Amino acid sequence: MFDAIFAVLQRPNFLTFVIIFLWGFYIMVTRYNLVKKLIGMYLVQTSVIFFLVSISAKEGATVPILLSITEPVQAANYANPLPHVLTLTAIVVGVATLGVGLALCGAIYRKYGSLDEQKILEKLE
Amino acid sequence: MTILAVMVLVSILNLHNVIHHGEVRYVFSGWAVPLGIEWVADGLASVILVLLSALGLLGVVFTGPTSPKALGGRIVHFYTLILLLVSALTGIVFAGDLFNLFVFLEVGALSSYALVGVAGGRALFAAFRYLILGTLGASLYLLGVSYLYALTGTLNMADLADRLPLLLHSKAVVGGLLFMFIGLGIKMALVPFHAWMPEAYTYAPESTAPILASLITKVVLLAWVRIIYWVFNASTIIFDIPILLLVAVLGVLAAVIGASLALAQRDIKMMFAYGGISHIGIILIGIGQGNQTGFVGGIFYLMNDAVMQAGLFFIAGVAICQYGVRTIDDLGRVGRQAPWLTGSLVVVSLGMIGLPPTGGFFGKWYIILGALEAGNYVSVAAVVLSTLLTLAYFVKLFEGIFRQSSTQSDFQFGEIPLSFKLTLGVTTAAVLILGIFSAPIVQLLLNQALPPGL
Repeated sequence: MFDAIFAVLQRPNFLTFVIIFLWGFYIMVTRYNLVKKLIGMYLVQTSVIFFLVSISAKEGATVPILLSITEPVQAANYANPLPHVLTLTAIVVGVATLGVGLALCGAIYRKYGSLDEQKILEKLE
Repeated sequence: MTILAVMVLVSILNLHNVIHHGEVRYVFSGWAVPLGIEWVADGLASVILVLLSALGLLGVVFTGPTSPKALGGRIVHFYTLILLLVSALTGIVFAGDLFNLFVFLEVGALSSYALVGVAGGRALFAAFRYLILGTLGASLYLLGVSYLYALTGTLNMADLADRLPLLLHSKAVVGGLLFMFIGLGIKMALVPFHAWMPEAYTYAPESTAPILASLITKVVLLAWVRIIYWVFNASTIIFDIPILLLVAVLGVLAAVIGASLALAQRDIKMMFAYGGISHIGIILIGIGQGNQTGFVGGIFYLMNDAVMQAGLFFIAGVAICQYGVRTIDDLGRVGRQAPWLTGSLVVVSLGMIGLPPTGGFFGKWYIILGALEAGNYVSVAAVVLSTLLTLAYFVKLFEGIFRQSSTQSDFQFGEIPLSFKLTLGVTTAAVLILGIFSAPIVQLLLNQALPPGL
């Protein structure tokens, strides 16, 4: 039991990721306001992005820009750039999704005059 | 429309090329794999591409007279969204690495949220639910991909397939695999995660429902197949559970539950959408058998199902736009006076049930043969049960059409537009052609589209 807890505390980034992910998921499931649901969705996306960035972190490493072309490349001195590139793409995708979601929210509000899921469902019946 | 017509021709040329010269690999901007990004056009992808572009073209032909009137001058954006959707699906079919798959998945999903929401009214709410669930699925998929990347340091499918066998004891691989499966499962409306699908397709505008319903879930299913067979080996056993068994069990659940839910619907589009869920299950049963017959049967049934779903939603679209009917009872009143509608409905539903002259029969036949070969009798029972339930809900539909001959209604309808006749005719003919030429098509799939190691 204590071993497991210490093992988790050794990896604070994983713990943070799990907390943010579950927090976002909880908001998505329990809140009736559509904008709050979108906020929860964005937290879930952000937690995955955080996970991707955190696994590429490296102590004492620098940005992957080659300073001298004559010396042999020491891979240990540079951070891995690929997860960051993936992260940038994932952020763009997340922003686009959020934009479409907010546009839908706006259209729903103009149509039904409310953003509360239960009130909208009552009007749909 | 012209673009899609050209795309159909190019895809057929591509299929011809792949058959005769083997698979084509395109490496973006000259960076060698595994560092660069790669597109793979193997037999399976090329076959599905022909299907995808043909159905996309038909969908755009159908869009003309049915597109939402409120759009006005913004109709250009509407067509742009459809083209974006088709190109994103093409990307999913060709993608050679897992992250590109994610990006194309999201591009396709974004355009489909917009295409569902265009109809306004209830569609907005359905699209919002689709967006929330779809994004959750995409996030889970990305999480799975990052697990695998953290373990292996590569995203390329072929490269992953080389490195994974050594790592299968790791819990992180199992976690990543499960996250990817759940994420894609939400996207393809697998049974425990299907909640968004019937609403989204029912309230989607009539003009886009055929493209959405026939293509998105099938293409995501294809991505799933690729991950199971190409990235992981088909015979992978994780913690004493073969992954194919998992696939077959999920397929059995989806096939039976989807068909039972379809039986309970009154709205025709709702019924067809639940029918689509049950057919995803049947395809998965075929794929999960782990032998050549089952796999080819599954892929062949996937092609049939895409054509049949398109046909059914064309029928529903014509029924709603031309005759203004939405429920099964109303369709019964119109039936006799709409020869094109009823004729194609009869043929397509024969395919859905799986009777001999149509492609649906041969797909199910190969799937059952594969299941018998694997000695998996539960799967056989599930396919048969799902067929019976499908028969039951189509009988309900036809009872309305053919029995109420005495109550001739006073509707008078004009001639239906040429594009309606064209789309209904082509899909109906395609259902029959896939049946009649099933032997050469299945042979082609056996020769070209089998995964390595099967």
